[in-house]
Amino acid sequence: MKNTTGNKVKVGIFVTVSLALFTVAIYLIGQRQQLFSDAFHISAVFKDIGGLQGGNNVRFSGINVGIVEDIEQITDSTVRINMRIGKATQKFIKKNARATIGSDGLMGNKIVVISPGTADNRVVADNDQLNAFQAVSMDEIMAKIKVTADNAAVITGGLASIVGNISEGRGTIGKLFMDTVFAKNIDNSLINIKQGTKGFKQNMDAAGNSFLLRGFFKKKNKEKEQKNKDK
Amino acid sequence: MEGKAAINTVQTPEAGIGKRMRKFFISVSDLSAFTLRFVKEAFTPKYEIYEFIKQAYLVGYQSFPLVAITGFIMGLVLTIQSRPTLAQFGAESWLPAMVAVSIVREIGPVITALIFAGKVGSGIGAELASMKVTEQIDAMEVSGANPFKYLVVTRTLATTLMLPVLVVASDGISLFGAYVGCNLKGDVSFKLFFLQVFDKLTFSDVFPATIKTFFFGLAVGLIACYKGYNSNKGTAGVGESANASVVYGSLCIFIIDMIAVQFTSLFN
Repeated sequence: MKNTTGNKVKVGIFVTVSLALFTVAIYLIGQRQQLFSDAFHISAVFKDIGGLQGGNNVRFSGINVGIVEDIEQITDSTVRINMRIGKATQKFIKKNARATIGSDGLMGNKIVVISPGTADNRVVADNDQLNAFQAVSMDEIMAKIKVTADNAAVITGGLASIVGNISEGRGTIGKLFMDTVFAKNIDNSLINIKQGTKGFKQNMDAAGNSFLLRGFFKKKNKEKEQKNKDK
Repeated sequence: MEGKAAINTVQTPEAGIGKRMRKFFISVSDLSAFTLRFVKEAFTPKYEIYEFIKQAYLVGYQSFPLVAITGFIMGLVLTIQSRPTLAQFGAESWLPAMVAVSIVREIGPVITALIFAGKVGSGIGAELASMKVTEQIDAMEVSGANPFKYLVVTRTLATTLMLPVLVVASDGISLFGAYVGCNLKGDVSFKLFFLQVFDKLTFSDVFPATIKTFFFGLAVGLIACYKGYNSNKGTAGVGESANASVVYGSLCIFIIDMIAVQFTSLFN
């Protein structure tokens, strides 16, 4: 096969396009890590960083603005994280901004979340240290959930014992719900009350018709009619 | 007498294994000498630039359609296959990132190199072997030309430098295939797909994967040239060289890949 100019051009185009593709990919990856744009550095000191790693995202107002550059242990209980943030975000981060370690979704990577701070404070400078807000760790949440669960167990145990007593007919409420003799007694009492009130009504009617009390009832009726007229 | 001679030719299994081991070590020694000679010849003038460009066209440009089709299907199939598993965890939005990392780190380089070994390795092995058995290589030596420089160095350099280029192109096409795969059952915009892809890719994904492809290309080229250049069984040797070029080339790709992953994990 002859080595024609056409073939050379084809090889040249092929290599150039592939290299351009590679360069674009490198640029796009680098851009995410703020490698090809102006950046500044800030740090924050935490007691526990909960598995944060170098390269994790730094988020400000929900936007990825930089990365965790490196992590260093300062003392036995403090860890400093150094962050590389895009210069364009610097003017929005105030000196009293707070850094917190959060999580990108339920199963996602750890991230550093920066809250903006108040407007009356000065803008953060290069190599400044932000205040760190130690977020509640998963272990602490689990410990609190355990206490709540223990309390819930005691309460549900008590409720189970009360429900057990009721279903066995013990106590006042238990008798009310479960004791058939008690229910029959109440039923009889209600019948007696009904009969009693019926008899009482008959007595009152008889009293109204007797000559001794007729005057009293007439007076009552007149007062009643007078009141109706006044209305 | 004839019976005695026949008994002498029967080999015990131990002797067979010993002979094969001996043959293997001789091959390793020859291949090492061949590699050293390649390095020496590659860096000493005169350079066969035009032959190198011709080989780059043959092994690189002409392999592109095959690599492109393979790459596209790879990206598409990987996405379709991964979707149900991720959907079980409600993590379908991770599909672009997961597929991209798989393609760039492992599947793109290895599958492309295997396709390359199959197409280019067998071609070089058969071509050089047929030149050897028809005594064209001897004729070149007699005429004062350096056949090693003209045939081996140009081809091996072409495979070494063109395979990474092919892998980059294949990765790009695979990612496009993955984008198509994502949109078969879902709805992801082109911009969002590539934002998610490049959000999760890091330099530690891209650079080791690219560097190892140079070694893949070198192995494919060197083994194919070695098998072809040292073919000595007449016309039967041509087929044998082509076959051995593909088999050993592919095996070497996996061995280099295993070494590369161990090496990369040291730095991560």
